[in-house]
Amino acid sequence: MLLEIDHVTKRYRNGTVANDDITLHVDRGEVFGLLGPNGAGKTTLVSQILGLAAPTSGTITIDGVDVVRAPNVGRQECSYQPQSSAPVEGLRPREAVSLAGRLRGGARATVERRAHELLAAFELDEWNEMVTPLSGGVSRLVSFCMAAVVPGRIVILDEPTNDVDPLRRKMLWQQVRALADNGAAVLLVTHNVLEAERCVDRLAIVDHGRVVAQGTPASLKGEIGAALRLELVLEPGADPPASSPIGSPVIVGRRIFTEVALDQASDAVAWAKDLTDRGVVAEFFLGAASLEDVYVRRVRHEDALEVADAPVVG
Amino acid sequence: MRRSWASYRLLLLWQYQRNRAFLPMIVLIQTLLGVGIVYGFALLLPNIDPTTARYLATGAPTLGLIIMGLTVVPQEVSQAKLTGRYDYIASLPVPRLAPLAADVTFWLVAQLPGTVATLLVASLRFDIHLKVGLSVIPAIVLVALTGASVGYALASLVKPQLAQQITNFLSIGVLLFSPINFPATRLPDVLRAVHRVLPVQYMADVVRGSLTGDYTVSASLAFAVVAAWCAAGLALSYRVAVRRR
Repeated sequence: MLLEIDHVTKRYRNGTVANDDITLHVDRGEVFGLLGPNGAGKTTLVSQILGLAAPTSGTITIDGVDVVRAPNVGRQECSYQPQSSAPVEGLRPREAVSLAGRLRGGARATVERRAHELLAAFELDEWNEMVTPLSGGVSRLVSFCMAAVVPGRIVILDEPTNDVDPLRRKMLWQQVRALADNGAAVLLVTHNVLEAERCVDRLAIVDHGRVVAQGTPASLKGEIGAALRLELVLEPGADPPASSPIGSPVIVGRRIFTEVALDQASDAVAWAKDLTDRGVVAEFFLGAASLEDVYVRRVRHEDALEVADAPVVG
Repeated sequence: MRRSWASYRLLLLWQYQRNRAFLPMIVLIQTLLGVGIVYGFALLLPNIDPTTARYLATGAPTLGLIIMGLTVVPQEVSQAKLTGRYDYIASLPVPRLAPLAADVTFWLVAQLPGTVATLLVASLRFDIHLKVGLSVIPAIVLVALTGASVGYALASLVKPQLAQQITNFLSIGVLLFSPINFPATRLPDVLRAVHRVLPVQYMADVVRGSLTGDYTVSASLAFAVVAAWCAAGLALSYRVAVRRR
């Protein structure tokens, strides 16, 4: 494997544990998703790969070289799109992408050609001569182009689709796939579970600094063992139903998710309809189970236990 | 080495591109600042003898260089931290001190027109004849780099809000309590003792000496002290730059 992260723990001086015994491996040609809620420790892990932070224990190697001992290797081998917007105030998109490529060691002519191709692929020509600040979405795309113009053997993308419009988001996923097809190992950090499901080859779900699930989207969905998912949206102020005839519900804010076996579909719809008629539920959806269900189940596992223990309302 | 040079040039280009819209204003403000120091201090002193005039004329560019290092560069670092540029550049395969070198070069060049204008105004205002030697080049570079390396390390270590407070405090200290615009003999004993160790009076001396030919101490001692502080500042900046969280 090109990138090997083994038993990495990062504990800050104030005692906060940002990463807790994380192990994951990413290979060439692979898009690996790192999913998790805010504060799960994803960006801290990325900082350690880049050599900006040092793990308290554990090892990180790139092609067998220990980047904890040789942090320059992390910077050399990884191109990076940070979570914050592109740090290119005052620059034109073309200039920013070209500068990033040349700072990564690309030859001027090659970098300028590639910069032009990338910006054209996102149909950003009309912004090409405009000086930043740009809109949030355009700024994110420029930031992606800066990481992709001279890609490292590892490309790390931290929330690349934030603020990007749906059409360009599709183009972005195509470019991410192209990076992997050209041999890069892509580490994709994101909250966007549904979109990641379509793009990643494998993924890890991180919560409270720990890897709580890891595998291919298909293998993780297989864990649920259900073909369908029922989603109920509570009326504002309504208490959730404390007992459920269908599956084990998980509550996230005003939304309730539960797994539904195929032969329970009609019972699930009848239950949801009844709750709607009684004014408990505003609307409901029944659809195919997705990676989001695995995510919600894993990340909100403690909430699910609380739901199971809650008193029966009616 | 070739790669280091290329990184430095590209980071300097980045500095120019992001500041180009404000460059005329930056040059104007730097000029007004230098000229303002000359005229402002002259207002404070009713009788300006030749020594005082020499200190005022040559102190203004020194002050400009030190303030650039201790306030402009740290403020740049603080802003870069807030916008994410600092971490982004740290993630690039560039030498750790290349961003500092690019920052110092840009601000030094932006300050040069103001420095020249200040010297011209000062020599006309006080009727001073300057004897500018070639040593002015290493003097200016050393003074700028020394101040900037300390400012860079400071802003890299502390949070942006605190960095601004500290740099403001340092600027006032340098402006009012350092023997730049006046001889060290006017300072209380304690401050004089402190300034025997700090580089500030030697910085003023290398600039003054290279512009007038007169050094308070010997030229070699002044240059040696400033060079030693510069090396220490750069070593500190390097250590801070390679530090991992």
